[in-house]
Amino acid sequence: MTVNVDLTLSYAGTDTDEQAELVARLARAEPAAIGAVYDDHHQAVRAFATRLVGDPASAEDLVHEVFVALPRAIRGFRGDSSLRTFLISIAVNHARHFVRSAARRRAAMDKLSLEPPRSSPDPERDLRRRELADALTRALDALPLDQRVAFVLSDVEERTSSQIARIVGVPEGTVRTRLFHARKKLRALLEQEGFR
Amino acid sequence: MSDDLLRAATQALRDEHADSDQAARFTRARVMASLHKVERRRSTKLAFLVPVAAVLVGSTAWGAATGRLPARFSPPPPASLERPAERAAELVKGAPRRARAARAAAQVAEAQPAEPQPAGAQPAETQPVETVAAKVRVAPPPAADPSHELYRAAHHSHFTRGDAAGALGAWEAYLAAAPRGRFATEARYNRALCLVRLGRRAEAQAALEPFAAGRFGGYRQREATELAAALGR
Repeated sequence: MTVNVDLTLSYAGTDTDEQAELVARLARAEPAAIGAVYDDHHQAVRAFATRLVGDPASAEDLVHEVFVALPRAIRGFRGDSSLRTFLISIAVNHARHFVRSAARRRAAMDKLSLEPPRSSPDPERDLRRRELADALTRALDALPLDQRVAFVLSDVEERTSSQIARIVGVPEGTVRTRLFHARKKLRALLEQEGFR
Repeated sequence: MSDDLLRAATQALRDEHADSDQAARFTRARVMASLHKVERRRSTKLAFLVPVAAVLVGSTAWGAATGRLPARFSPPPPASLERPAERAAELVKGAPRRARAARAAAQVAEAQPAEPQPAGAQPAETQPVETVAAKVRVAPPPAADPSHELYRAAHHSHFTRGDAAGALGAWEAYLAAAPRGRFATEARYNRALCLVRLGRRAEAQAALEPFAAGRFGGYRQREATELAAALGR
């Protein structure tokens, strides 16, 4: 699957000159500018990365990758959307490797039975929530990356179809199709795991 | 039912990953270190490439200005010389046959005086330097240095026509005209190769010895050593 991210997004909510100057400083890889952008947006990028990848360590690697790639990627930034959205689109573009490695790690952990068994639901609410989240993460591993990205952006991050379409650079109809298939597969996979 | 389940799972995933300040700080430090490393790598690359490019441009300009640029581009060695050890064995193996062929050709030439012969034509093996040089000099000298034409002719005989006897005389003509010429070392080595091809082992060994001994630096030293050893077998 290829996730084509439209890099011609814009930076909303800031003064144009200020924004242009920031973009120029980012393109020059000025540490102060990158540090400032990191401080403002790392939480959003990390949340998305963690939900997409499903593994905190791999998510940290993806966050690192996004901010290291920023000086080069920012040259394609046209200013039609927020810088945060732009950073998410960079994360989508770099996610493939991290998603795969996290999925491999989860599969290995499952084989070694290092995770709690799924067939004995714990009455405690926290544990139930944890189990559900883990089951959904494993189910996401079974999806193609484009469907996975669409589902995380839509259902977990609660973005609209048009926002997702701009992030991944495909028509809204395609996003909705991907979401439909993703949800259908996820429901089936969760039921297979014994969740009702 | 399963819609509710998916919604609950999605909510659980949303709530699951709490942000870790420590991890965020660590990743920030990693990002800064990586950017610094990228910047340093770029600076190092520039510091290395700019002087190299300057030297290259400068030397090319100097070569073009002094007219030495075209002459510096000597033709590449033939593919057959790429593997000197195999080539040496091949040359030594085929040398007596070629020598016999050359001698037979000379005898035929002597036995048929009626055939038109160029003035001063002699068997290839004993062709004097002056004769070949004179023959080669028939062509009008196009370059400022007439020895270049001799070099071209010798190169043509050696690598294009594969005429060992003719090439031997031509290389000797070049060396006689420009004993300290720009291509003298290469000409000496090629002359040695011609001697090997003609089966003149003793002369070939004598011609290869300075190369094998490193008197021309590392130029063809390994090949010459291997050829000389193969001739000695």
